Amino acid sequence: MGPERQTRSFLDPLALGRLARLPLFARRPMQGNVSGKHSSLHRGSSVEFAEYRKYVPGDDLRRLDWRMHGRSDRYYVKECEADTNLRCCLVVDTSGSMAFGSNGTTKIDYAKRLAGTLGYLAILQGDAVGLSCVADDIVTEIPPRRNPAHLTVIFDLLERAKPTGGTHLVRLLHELAEKIRQRALVIVISDFFADPQELRGCFEHFRFRHHDLAAVQLLDPLELEFKFHRPMRFIDMEGGPAVFAEPNEIADRYHKAIGRYLQDLQKVVVDTAVDYHRVNIDTSYEQALMHFLVGRTRAGSVR
Amino acid sequence: MSFLQPWLLVALPVAALPVIIHLINQRRFHTIDWAAMRFLLEANRMSRGYARIRQWLILLFRVLAIAGLIFMISRPLASGWLGLTGGGRADTTIVLIDRSPSMQQVGQGTASSKIETGVAQLVQTLNTLGSTRWVLIDSHTAEPREIDSPDSILRSPSAEAASATSALPAMLQAAHDYIKNNRTGETEVWICSDLRANDWNAQSGRWKSLRDSFQEFKQSVRFHLLAYSSPAPEDIAVRVTGVERRTTGDGAVLLISLKLTREANWGVEDSAPGTQSNARGKLRLPVRFEIEGATSELPVEFEGREFELKDHHIPLAGDHPKGWGRISIPSDLNPADNEYYFVFDDPPPRRTILVAEGDEEVRPLELAAGIAADPTVKCEVETVAARQLASVRWEGVALLLWQAPLPSGDAADMIKQFVDRGGRVVFFPPKLPNNDAIFDGRWTRWVEPPEPLRIETWWGDADLLARTQSGAAVPVGELIIRRYCGLEGEFTPLATLPEKAPLLTRVTTDRGGVYFCATTSSMDDASLGTDGVALYVMIQRALAAGAAELGNSLQLNAGDRFPTTADAWTKLAGSEDVLSNEYSYHAGVYAAGERTLAVNRAAQEDDAPILNDAQVAGLFSGLDFARVDDQAGNVTSLTREVWRLFLGAMLVAIVAEAGLCIPRIARKTGETQ
Repeated sequence: MGPERQTRSFLDPLALGRLARLPLFARRPMQGNVSGKHSSLHRGSSVEFAEYRKYVPGDDLRRLDWRMHGRSDRYYVKECEADTNLRCCLVVDTSGSMAFGSNGTTKIDYAKRLAGTLGYLAILQGDAVGLSCVADDIVTEIPPRRNPAHLTVIFDLLERAKPTGGTHLVRLLHELAEKIRQRALVIVISDFFADPQELRGCFEHFRFRHHDLAAVQLLDPLELEFKFHRPMRFIDMEGGPAVFAEPNEIADRYHKAIGRYLQDLQKVVVDTAVDYHRVNIDTSYEQALMHFLVGRTRAGSVR
Repeated sequence: MSFLQPWLLVALPVAALPVIIHLINQRRFHTIDWAAMRFLLEANRMSRGYARIRQWLILLFRVLAIAGLIFMISRPLASGWLGLTGGGRADTTIVLIDRSPSMQQVGQGTASSKIETGVAQLVQTLNTLGSTRWVLIDSHTAEPREIDSPDSILRSPSAEAASATSALPAMLQAAHDYIKNNRTGETEVWICSDLRANDWNAQSGRWKSLRDSFQEFKQSVRFHLLAYSSPAPEDIAVRVTGVERRTTGDGAVLLISLKLTREANWGVEDSAPGTQSNARGKLRLPVRFEIEGATSELPVEFEGREFELKDHHIPLAGDHPKGWGRISIPSDLNPADNEYYFVFDDPPPRRTILVAEGDEEVRPLELAAGIAADPTVKCEVETVAARQLASVRWEGVALLLWQAPLPSGDAADMIKQFVDRGGRVVFFPPKLPNNDAIFDGRWTRWVEPPEPLRIETWWGDADLLARTQSGAAVPVGELIIRRYCGLEGEFTPLATLPEKAPLLTRVTTDRGGVYFCATTSSMDDASLGTDGVALYVMIQRALAAGAAELGNSLQLNAGDRFPTTADAWTKLAGSEDVLSNEYSYHAGVYAAGERTLAVNRAAQEDDAPILNDAQVAGLFSGLDFARVDDQAGNVTSLTREVWRLFLGAMLVAIVAEAGLCIPRIARKTGETQ
């Protein structure tokens, strides 16, 4: 480890070491350009049997299964799964609301840790990693590359990411769904404070484009509990109007509003088969990632 | 709502403390940068009805709890009796109870009269309120009497119903004098009355001076009126308008004239037992006559408001030369006007003493006084010189005609005593007026106008020149006055010449009647002697009035003073519980030696309207005055402490506030997945 190496505030080497043992799987067949750990759309020459297919002229005669021919007197071609790498697109919300955090850790800090760690794990297993920071527009965007040196670029970008401005998450997700050409694993890290029905459109758009979408929603415990002991003036972190409220008076309706939102979002993600994770930012990000990775391992592929 | 400790109400603004704390708390807000604004805004947009009401309800209940506590320790009374400004322990409490006969009216469906209910209510209320000193003013004597406690009112004869008319202005004057003489502190004046116009005399100019006098007091004087103003439309009053004993060939008979009066707004249905009425209001009731123990009954049927029976013949058993009787009707809402007492006797000779300077004046006066209109009445005239006055036997003298220089010294004293006994005196001017005065009147000098004068105005409603019973005027206007004598003094003019020169005047006295006639019966002075009708009427009326006062049998209005006699008055008939010093205020028949008299309520009692609210308010305008209306037979206390009510309200408010403040079980909004 040379002296020129930078230390990143959002990376914990120990946690990286522990998490490196867990693979990052895609739930859909990927369309990579090199061999990797993920199932490919195309049949290939791996050891994992896929299916028998009738021989058609032009097939490689070397792939004829003679044993099958002996048994059925027909020509079959034995096909195997192809393994390929994946394109992992990390989308980090850097809008003003991501600066919120009641226990010292802000959502953006948490998001950087998740994104940095996931990027590292992906590069480690030979996948291409890209990063998009979105706020009221796509602030910065780095296309996926699998070169380990590419990590430095991603980390630098994460390092510089500052939460500011409003958010147009729905519009930007639609834009990203179009922009990412090949099938990719898209991991969106945001608070998702948008209309669930509008998010449904986004999620369906990604699905239509055959992307494997994972949504990590970061929420602060104070946002969920809404516990205050005196009148509060709430200033909108994204520049909206301030609200003066007596928390005791409004708590019921706040809980009702946020409960209904989370319920709607849950329905949307189930309907659109999004790999959705609601993360409370006072939990360990390592644990959250472990949960995320294990969950994807169990889920298997979705075609 | 009234309070016994009203000064504690100054702490009432403390009830606003929860609101103030709430407002201060609102000012102590914190500012926070907030990400999940969409939920806050959505929560704000949601229906805030219950949440807002809940907050206001909590504040309201807190305010109510504190207010309830303050009200409770202020000792509230369940009544508007004291008024909002009232309350507190008074230094002196003066009680004025209207004892007039109308206060004996009982309520519908109850046996309790207005005065009984009013006294009971007053005693209960005053016991609750408390005071350092208690004063009861009798409605008849208008004398203040200090009492130990309100309970003493129950035992006092001054709080019992009587037959005499009350004089509220005189009672209030007595209250005023008491406050002034005793320099009382904070004073409460309590009046219990049924607001009858004859008792209150609202037209009297005395009320204004009373109001002004009370307003001059530096200390607080509050007036409280407990009014029993409900009328008795079905009530019937009986009154004897005339009693005459006549001797006929068949023996002695009594001619009784009576009048039955109903209240103006009487109803069709009559509740009086023993009476029947049909839908047109025709009423049939028995009138019961009781004369010297013999009872007879006369069924009477009448429509309309009044019924008069003239000269009903009742034979007298045993030729009683004198006696007494009672007329009664079945009891109704007011028992006080259901019976009437009377006495009868042979009319005494009407004696007149005539003192005159010359024969020319003597003759017309002698004739006018000596010939009675009724042949059964004997008239006697005794002419004496002024210096022989001491030799006159005054017993039985009804009228003194004086045409001589005004008396002085012993002669004047004798005449004053005569007037005090109820005698009548008519003074005529002497030929040469001197400076002597009597009854504050004095002749000045003779005035001889160039042309004879005629009387310009005279009082035809009452007194000597009143119209006859048939309504015809006394021919006063035909008199010619050639000269008259000037008169100085305070008097009421009954007849005046041009330029307001008095011709016939009356001097106000306690009992008897004193008149000054400014001319004589001489031909040179006036035509009194030649056109003798006016003079005759004047003299005969004065004579009749004097005889009525001095006769052995007398009809008195309750409250009038009994004649002075050597013997003590004893009761022959009437209420049993009456004390001897209260005889003159209670209806009945009383005797002293040979003399008997009947005491009854005054005529105004039978036709007394009730003052309306505006009139009563006007009488107390500018004074601290509170009124509460009650009904006879009401058993609900006017004032009772209701601090328990406020304690209960406070507890309810505390419990309700606590219930609203219980936090709801927080729902978990989200969990980490």
